Amino acid sequence: MTAITLVATTGRAADGTNDYRSLLSQAVILEDGPAQIELIKQLVGASDELVARGLAAWRVNELYVYTSADGAKIPFLLDAQQDSEGKGRGVLLTDGQFIKDNHGEPVIFLASGLTPADTNSKLRKAIKTTLDLFAIASPMPNMRRDAVIKLGQEQNPEYLPYFQSRLQIEPNAQVIAALSEAVALTQIVSPDDKIRTAAINSLARMQSINALDFLKQLEKKATLAPAKYSPQTARALRDAIVRIETHIWWGHFFGTAFRGLSLASVLLIAALGLAITFGLMGVINMAHGEIMAVGAYTTYLVQGVFGSGLLFSLFGHPVSVKGVGLSGGGLDCYFIVALAASFFSAALVGLALERGVIRFLYKRPLESLLATWGVSLVLQQLFRHTFGAANVSVVSPSWLSGSFVVSDILFAYNRIFVIGFAVFIVFGTYLLLTRTSLGLQIRAVMQNRAMASCVGVRTDRVNMMTFALGSGLAGMAGACMSQIANVGPSLGQSYIVDCFMIVVLGGVGNLVGTVSAACGVGVTNQILEPWLGAVLGKIIVLVGIILFLQWRPNGIFVTRSRGLDS
Amino acid sequence: MKNKSLSLLTQSCRAAALAAGLAFTANAADTVKVGVLHSLSGTMAISETSLKDVLLFTFDEINKSGGIKVTGKNYMIDPVVVDPASNWPLFAEKAEQLLVKDKVAVTFGCWTSVSRKSVLPVYERYNGLLFYPVQYEGEELSKNIFYTAEAVNQQAIPAVDYMLAEGKKKFYLLGSDYVYPRTTNKILKQYLKLKGIPETDIVEIYTPFGHTDYQTIVAAIKQFAAGGSACVISTLNGDTNVPFFKEYANAGLTSENCPVVSFSISEDEFRGLPAKQLVGQLGCWTYFMSLKTPENAAFVKNFDAWLKDPQVAGVDYKVTGVDPKGRVTCSPMNLSRIGVYLWKQACEKADSFEPDKVAAALIGQKFKGPAGEVTMQANHHLVNNVYIGETLASGQFKIIKTFTGVAAEPFSEKFLK
Repeated sequence: MTAITLVATTGRAADGTNDYRSLLSQAVILEDGPAQIELIKQLVGASDELVARGLAAWRVNELYVYTSADGAKIPFLLDAQQDSEGKGRGVLLTDGQFIKDNHGEPVIFLASGLTPADTNSKLRKAIKTTLDLFAIASPMPNMRRDAVIKLGQEQNPEYLPYFQSRLQIEPNAQVIAALSEAVALTQIVSPDDKIRTAAINSLARMQSINALDFLKQLEKKATLAPAKYSPQTARALRDAIVRIETHIWWGHFFGTAFRGLSLASVLLIAALGLAITFGLMGVINMAHGEIMAVGAYTTYLVQGVFGSGLLFSLFGHPVSVKGVGLSGGGLDCYFIVALAASFFSAALVGLALERGVIRFLYKRPLESLLATWGVSLVLQQLFRHTFGAANVSVVSPSWLSGSFVVSDILFAYNRIFVIGFAVFIVFGTYLLLTRTSLGLQIRAVMQNRAMASCVGVRTDRVNMMTFALGSGLAGMAGACMSQIANVGPSLGQSYIVDCFMIVVLGGVGNLVGTVSAACGVGVTNQILEPWLGAVLGKIIVLVGIILFLQWRPNGIFVTRSRGLDS
Repeated sequence: MKNKSLSLLTQSCRAAALAAGLAFTANAADTVKVGVLHSLSGTMAISETSLKDVLLFTFDEINKSGGIKVTGKNYMIDPVVVDPASNWPLFAEKAEQLLVKDKVAVTFGCWTSVSRKSVLPVYERYNGLLFYPVQYEGEELSKNIFYTAEAVNQQAIPAVDYMLAEGKKKFYLLGSDYVYPRTTNKILKQYLKLKGIPETDIVEIYTPFGHTDYQTIVAAIKQFAAGGSACVISTLNGDTNVPFFKEYANAGLTSENCPVVSFSISEDEFRGLPAKQLVGQLGCWTYFMSLKTPENAAFVKNFDAWLKDPQVAGVDYKVTGVDPKGRVTCSPMNLSRIGVYLWKQACEKADSFEPDKVAAALIGQKFKGPAGEVTMQANHHLVNNVYIGETLASGQFKIIKTFTGVAAEPFSEKFLK
């Protein structure tokens, strides 16, 4: 809504302002759908901020109807400045004044206690069209672009003058492109053959994906009624279609590369912790997934504390945590804190697991497999008892929602974040292992425990630290997963197989192997998926990995050390 | 070897059951045993526990109003709750236990089609009665099963009709990879072709259970919807909806430029699904919690009150789930409850708990439920009202279209003409 409030164009103190306001009020109060739509259409051209705000509020069910003392019904919306409980003053749509009580004080309304004015999807569509036409003049280039694309697809010649007048004053390159596309798209249905052909050619030059369907329809029409279309048009159509399809192919190619990289990052983040606990230490930790879930639930807790609080049960006793009650930007920061918190909470759980179970089983790997599997079941049931069997809802901060488009390839912010985060933690782990004394000790112990012990390394303590580090990384992975997948008691189970697969494929005990295995699996998966579907694609990847391990049982990179060979 | 011993076992069980004369009638204290066959653990627990809760609530409701009047006596319902643990073979075992050991007069249960298919032979062998309450793909009719569930022509077909009326011309059929989505989409594809949609404008895609990576699919939908007038028909199940709708919203797709109608998302699913990302997307069911009828108001209010003190015939049933406050009602829950009432009416009409007599009396039974009156047809399916609703940020649906008195037809060849 904040964006909409900016819609009002400057200057032009229209005489018709009040007319537009009363038109909108009428439209809201009417019960008759078609008549309402007619009224909404008449609002096009209103340059009144209040009308735009009213329309936008109506569309998202935030417009209410006030019955004044004399029985007149006046729509109103809540003041943009609301307090934390969502209470705000009512702004009347007719004059922009606050609703006042008998003493002349503004009345305070609670949004959740009001019944919004009725809408339905047709009305909302009409409202959106009108707002889109407002939005052509919006100060936000993104909004202008979206509005123009939408309106262009309607191929409505009535819009042409709006497009062309905007084209002359438009400063933003992206919007200019969208406008020329919309103009061309509207013109390809023009009865004039010359205009039509020129429009088709310009669409081909723009490589417009949006236009492809329309061009194909036109080509169908042209083949059915060749008399109405000149051979130039038909040829231009064919060329345009071929050109756009080639463009789509390239878009698909680079899009797949990006998506593969992002899937690879997800796999890598999930598997990195295991690469340390299993890869370096040789502990078959079946509870790795549940340690990820600890991180994910920590994110949920941090979100609750930053937001409006949360309720869970601790061994049957209900616990209610009061939230700080932040919203907007403050709440968006929760994720940064959650990343750190999930590292430490998962590291603590890992530490407890190592001290309580694993340290007794270093020499008996098969028993550690069974023991950690048992721990994973215990943890799952603990999540169920504490947070319920249902998934909990983790809301992505606004800076991780949405996407941007370059040359028709979609880059979602959360995916970019995941790729960046993967690079960050891999680099961080690499530095830790190669540039710190702890890393030196870890490597020493892993390569030859007895020798390291002889030269004074406290191997017991190093084991503990290494396992906590691996668990902490798993916790951060869980926090990361909460942004793209579900947080529930079975979160761990859905990743554990993938994690082991990546570590084994990459070669046990080798970080570079883990990275390359994740990339290989991620990209292959994304290449196969559009062809074979998600199910078959996954099967083929799995079969491929099995065959590869038959050929190279030790994975892509083989690390030889006495510690691992023994 | 294993099979042989198993069949021997079942044979002896059958003999024992026959010897006992299949005494379905009640015991001394004038109670009648009724089975509840829903997963209370495992993957399906999250959905099926709600059905168990609503069934127990309904039993309590009936007991409090005097029970079931058969042969001049008032029989109280005595529930036998078993947990098949989301394990399909275990469903058959538990069903056999209910029929042979507990000798229940009727069973209410199953959610997934595979669990229903697993117990079907058991109910046919021992001539039991099963009420099945969850939307399914049809193409099945057993004399021992009564389907209060929505058939394809009570959910998918009306939804597609609505989309066609809205001017949609391109359909992206997206589903989880199992029998219900595959069969439904097969039927829908034929139906769309009948309606003149060319094959090139219909895309059919499946993802595995627990799939989290919807980038490729959303990118494909974005391209599919580039020319406008496209929609998505989703039979994605359970929690895969979260990553899908997250990705969908991130790609800038909305209910205005490409609406999604989902068949597996009801009010109950929103307990674990952020409704914010789904605002404006559509659902299609024979019941919505937001329906404004006196019957529904009473249902919602009484169920909520019962959850605070969940007792049936003096036995306390602790309600699972951490927060009994955030509970809602949804279509499968309503259909479970309707099944119990239809069975009660049929028992009273037949003046017996004998499955054969009750089954005969069930045909033509009417019940005025929260979503309007339903009638049990001779094909063991209901005549019911169908509603299309738009998701609101509160996780409720705003009803935008009503189809009254839609008669369920399980076999698609009958309505694909």
